Amino acid sequence: MVTKTVASYHFDTLAETISKLNEEDCTIIAGGTDVMVLHKSRRGVAPKIAKPVVFIDHLRELKQTYLEDGDLHIGACCTYGEMLEHSLIPNIFKKAIREVAAPAIRNRGTLGGNICNASPAGDMLPLLYIFNAKLVLRSVNEDRIVEIHDFIQGPRRIARQQNELLVEIILPEVVNEARLIFEKIANRRADAISKVSFAGLLQVQAGKVADARFAFGAVGPTMVRSQETEKKLLSQVYPLKVEVLDEVVADFASIINPIDDQRSTAAYRKTVALKLLRYFLTSKELF
Amino acid sequence: MIKFKLNGSVVETDAPSTVRLLDLLREEFELIGSKEGCGEGECGACSVLVDNLVQNSCLIPIGALEGTDVQTIEGYSKTPQYQVLNECYATAGGVQCGFCTPGMIIATEALLSKNPHPSEEEIREGISGNLCRCTGYNMIVDAIQLAAKKGDGLW
Ligand SMILES: Cc1cc2nc3c(=O)[nH]c(=O)nc-3n(C[C@H](O)[C@H](O)[C@H](O)COP(=O)(O)OP(=O)(O)OC[C@H]3O[C@@H](n4cnc5c(N)ncnc54)[C@H](O)[C@@H]3O)c2cc1C
Ligand code: FES
Ligand code: FES
Repeated sequence: MVTKTVASYHFDTLAETISKLNEEDCTIIAGGTDVMVLHKSRRGVAPKIAKPVVFIDHLRELKQTYLEDGDLHIGACCTYGEMLEHSLIPNIFKKAIREVAAPAIRNRGTLGGNICNASPAGDMLPLLYIFNAKLVLRSVNEDRIVEIHDFIQGPRRIARQQNELLVEIILPEVVNEARLIFEKIANRRADAISKVSFAGLLQVQAGKVADARFAFGAVGPTMVRSQETEKKLLSQVYPLKVEVLDEVVADFASIINPIDDQRSTAAYRKTVALKLLRYFLTSKELF
Repeated sequence: MIKFKLNGSVVETDAPSTVRLLDLLREEFELIGSKEGCGEGECGACSVLVDNLVQNSCLIPIGALEGTDVQTIEGYSKTPQYQVLNECYATAGGVQCGFCTPGMIIATEALLSKNPHPSEEEIREGISGNLCRCTGYNMIVDAIQLAAKKGDGLW
């Protein structure tokens, strides 16, 4: 059944939704927590959205979370609240989710919405980057799988074709003993947008680094990650030698170029980002 | 036509699907307990329960509500849980100008229905999406602690 009011669609199935996207360029609304604020108009007046609207957050098919061959699949319309309560969602994601907004927003905002909104301050993004998340984009023609860092191209810019819907986020298996961190720096604990965020993964085997990944949020147009620098850490003895640590921090110092805005300054962001990295790589209390 | 449950009765509207639930409640249904503070999800004055979860009605396009169950402060005020909250907010001084109160009560219900005996920290987190310009929050926290005690077994 279709509920149609002024070019808006609310289909019972994912298949119908996808075929509508193939016919018409639509504004997709999941939780609407970004869309409704972006298009806000005066009190009493409906938000001004130019394109036809398609609602997706009721679609059961987009709310499944399951394991397949060790990889975790998360439905694009899982809300923060649903993820907090799901036993398969990694604890480090739950820690990050508890720092997103406040309960009411967490009951509407979705993982897919956070990704597709592609804000430099999107709080799920640093962890998704270090988990090497893959995104499943579905159209009438095919399922296309894209790496998150190829999908997100800049603030509100994503590599989605008009006829595609993000249906699933895949987190490839992460080794159990990996040390993980997520830190968000903002003005207050609830309802505050990140000034800087940082996610790190470090795996040490037999006294040597076996895997290292870092992503910084809100310090550039997209997450800052450098696989080149990460590689320099492989096989290094842990605890790290001072020269190795300094080199990694210096590498990031040269690629982190934040801006001044109403929330923070470039200098503050950069200093804090580098301190978080150093803290993660040296902290004994953390693990 | 969008059809959903509002305070226990099935309602229908032919308002456009992008209309905010807050506007529909206040203008079409004349339910003015839900307030507009910020209109951007930051103050919680417009809080309602959708399928028993606290949400900001200023951010909900009504088209997303098809088939859901919405409860506003007006519907909630007919429940025994509300009676306890009403009394405890009054006793503890958790209401001054009252603008935040309907939203605060809805957030309190959402908290207690999940966690009937919250710690102070959990209470503060539960109402962290609701701003109050008057009380300084401590009296609201007291009210919720009192309600958890007095209403033991209700939630
Ligand atoms: C008060 C407030 C506080 C907030 N706090 C935080 C915070 O602390 N941290 C944070 O990261 N964010 C925060 N946000 C932003 C927002 O809540 C999140 O980004 C949320 O995850 C967006 O999800 P949504 O489902 O509501 O997105 P929507 O608004 O529905 O959609 C966002 C964008 O993604 C597109 N889209 C959504 N789903 C899909 C899909 N499956 N396929 C293709 N395109 C899609 C939409 O078309 C739109 O362009 C806050 C917002 C508010 C209003
Ligand atoms: S009016 Fe909805 S949160 Fe402020
Ligand atoms: S009592 Fe006035 S805003 Fe809370």
